[in-house]
Amino acid sequence: MRTLRYNQALCEALRQEMDRDERVFVLGEDIARHGGVYRVTEGLLERFGPERVIDTPISESGIVGLAVGAALLGMRPVVEIQFMDLITIAMDQIVNSAAKARFVHDGALHAPLVVRTMNLGKGTVYSSQELEAWFTHVPGLKVVMPSDPYDAKGLLISAIRDPDPVIFIEHKALYRIEGEVEEEAYTVPLGQAKLPREGDDVTVVAWSSMVGVAEAAADSLADEGIGVEVIDPRTLVPFDRERVVASVCKTGRLVIVHQAVRRGGFGAEVAAAVTESEAFGYLMAPIRRVANPGVPVPKSGALHPPALPGEADVIGAVRDVMAYG
Amino acid sequence: MDRKDGIGGRELTTKDLVEMYRLMLQSRCFTEQVLVWYEEGRLPQGLHPSVGQEAVGVGACYGLGPDDWVIPSLRTAEAFWTRGVTMLEQLNAMLGNAASVSRGKETSHHAGYPERGILAGTGIVGGSIPVAVGGALALKMRGSEGVMVSFFGDGASNRGDFHEALNLAAVLEAPVVFVCENNLYAQTVPAAVGMAIEDIADRAMGYGMPGRVVDGQDVVAVYAATQGAVGRARRGEGPTLLECKTYRFLPHYPIFEEKRPAEEIERWRERDPIEMLGRRLEEEGLLDEQGKLEMEEAIEAELQEAIGEAEGMPMPDPQEVFENVYREPVEAMGL
Ligand SMILES: Cc1ncc(C[n+]2csc(CCOP(=O)(O)OP(=O)(O)O)c2C)c(N)n1
Ligand SMILES: [Mg+2]
Repeated sequence: MRTLRYNQALCEALRQEMDRDERVFVLGEDIARHGGVYRVTEGLLERFGPERVIDTPISESGIVGLAVGAALLGMRPVVEIQFMDLITIAMDQIVNSAAKARFVHDGALHAPLVVRTMNLGKGTVYSSQELEAWFTHVPGLKVVMPSDPYDAKGLLISAIRDPDPVIFIEHKALYRIEGEVEEEAYTVPLGQAKLPREGDDVTVVAWSSMVGVAEAAADSLADEGIGVEVIDPRTLVPFDRERVVASVCKTGRLVIVHQAVRRGGFGAEVAAAVTESEAFGYLMAPIRRVANPGVPVPKSGALHPPALPGEADVIGAVRDVMAYG
Repeated sequence: MDRKDGIGGRELTTKDLVEMYRLMLQSRCFTEQVLVWYEEGRLPQGLHPSVGQEAVGVGACYGLGPDDWVIPSLRTAEAFWTRGVTMLEQLNAMLGNAASVSRGKETSHHAGYPERGILAGTGIVGGSIPVAVGGALALKMRGSEGVMVSFFGDGASNRGDFHEALNLAAVLEAPVVFVCENNLYAQTVPAAVGMAIEDIADRAMGYGMPGRVVDGQDVVAVYAATQGAVGRARRGEGPTLLECKTYRFLPHYPIFEEKRPAEEIERWRERDPIEMLGRRLEEEGLLDEQGKLEMEEAIEAELQEAIGEAEGMPMPDPQEVFENVYREPVEAMGL
C-alpha cells in the first residue's frame, strides 16, 4: 500500500470529503494561501476556491462561533485552531454554543462541526499545553486523537460525517510520521480502540504521540520477558471501555500514559472506569499514571525532563507494577 | 510642547537622536546575528525578526520614565533595548540558562523585566492588551504618575480582546497608550484579507478615544506621537490608539517561506528606518560614515562577548521546573 505522512493523510481526508460533500468547508488562520502552518490544508484553495477555503483574521472565538452557526444552518464546517493553547480563547463557543446545540433544540437542529487543533508537545509555556481532558468533561462533544497516518485519515472522515461537534486533536510530533494509507476515502469508526502490541503481563493505555512511546517501551520490555499490551483508544469520547477492561482482566496490571498534566487528566477517568468495572477483582497492582507532574512546559530544554514523560518513565512504571506485591 | 494634534514630548537633542539611531542599529545587528546563530544550530530558537520595524519600539519607548510600564508584542525587541535590557540578558533568555531572567522558564520575546518596567507578554496574540489596561488601572488607583504602553500587531487588532480592552480603557479612563505595529501581515495573511478597513486607527472612534496614524518608519514621528499620547494619559485624559504603519523586511519567523511580492518588499526597504535617520544625522552633520561604522563595531564587539559569556553559563537544574508554579511547592497541592 502507498505511504503518506500524517499531515498528508489529513489533507487527503479534507480533499476527499470536500469533493464528496459540497457542504464541507474549511476556515482558519494561514490555511488558504499558505496551505496551513503544517501543510494540512495545502492545495485546497486552488481546488475549491476562496468560498470554501477561508483565511480568517486572528479571531479564534469568532471563527468557532461562526462555524457553529453555519453547522446549525446546514453546512459542515471544519475549523482549524492553529494549536491547542489558542483554543482557550474559543472555549465559550465550544462549550456553550457547540456542545449544547442539539440539546437545546431537542434534536430539531444539531451542530456537525469539526474543530481541528494540534498539541505541540515540546513547545514552550504557551504552546505545549495538552488540554484534551477539558473537552471530555463537556457533554455533547466528541474527542478524537489519532496516533498514525492511517487513523488520521479515517478518523477525520468519520469526524466530518459525524452529526455532532468533534474536537479533533492532532500532534506536531506526528505530522512527519509516514504510514500506509488507502487511496480511497474510508472511515475509522469513533469509539474503537486498537492494540498495536499484544501482551499478557501489563496493559498500557496511551494516545496520540504517546502511543509510539508506549510501543517503544513495550519492545524494550519484551527483551526482558515482560509482555506489554498497548491499547490506543484513538478517541476519548466515545471511549472503548470494553477493550480496556477486557485487557486488564487478562493482565491484571494497568499503566496509563499521557503528556497532559496528571491532575484532572483523562488518565484519571480511565483508571476510575477500570476500578468501577469487573476488572477490579483482577488487579494485582495499583494503577500507575505516567504524565506531566503538574508544571507548565518551560522554554529551556534543560528543564524539560521532569515535565515531559518519555519512554524511560513508561518502562519504570511497568517495572513498578510488575514488581508490586 | 503638547499640541492639539497629539504631538508631544520634549525637544530631542543631538544626543537623543544619535542614541535612537544606536538603539535601532543594535536591534538590527542583534536580530541578524541571532538568525545566523539559529541557522547554525548555535541557539535553540530563532526570533520574530523586527528588521524594518525598529523605529516603532525605539520611538515609543524612548521618552518613557522609570514609573512607566510596557508590554512588548512578540516582535517588539526594541522595547527591551530601549528600557535598558542588554544583549547578554536576551541571549541568556534565548539559551534558557541559569542566568536568564526567568531561569529558563520563558524565552526572550516573552520575558518580563519588572525592575525595568517590562511585563512579560504571552504567546497568545492579543492576550496582553486587556492586561495592559489592568496594569494602567492599577497605576491610576495607586496614585502613580506612570503610564502603560501596550504593543501589538495588526493581526492582534482583530481579536475580541483588543476590542474589549479598548472599550474598557475608554470607560475606565485608564492611562494606557495602545501602539499597533501594523506591518500589513499576520503571519501569512495580509491585513487586507483580515479586515475591511485601511486604517486600524479608525477603530478608536468606536470606543471614544483618539486614534492616529503614525509613520512607523520615522522614529522621531513615533516618539512625538507616543509622547503626545503619554502626556494625555498622565493628565488623566484617557487612552489613545496609535497605528504605526510599518513593514517587516523578513518572513514572520525563520521557518516561514517568503511569499510576499518582491516588489512590495523592495518598496518598503527604501524606507528603512535606520537609513532614514542615518541620512538625517549625516545631513545635519551629527554622525558621519566613520561614526556609524565605529558604532556598529562597538555593538558587534559587545554581541560577540555576550554570546561567549552566555554560552559559558550553566543550565538550570531540571528540578527547578517545580519552582514558582505556586509560592508553595507543587507537592503541597496534594495531588
Ligand atoms: C491568538 C493567537 N492566534 C494565532 C497565533 C499564531 N500566530 C502567532 S504570530 C501570528 C501573527 C500575528 O500577527 P500580528 O498581530 O500582525 O503581529 P506580527 O507577527 O505581524 O508582528 C499568529 C497568527 C497566536 N500566537 N495567537
Ligand atoms: Mg502584523
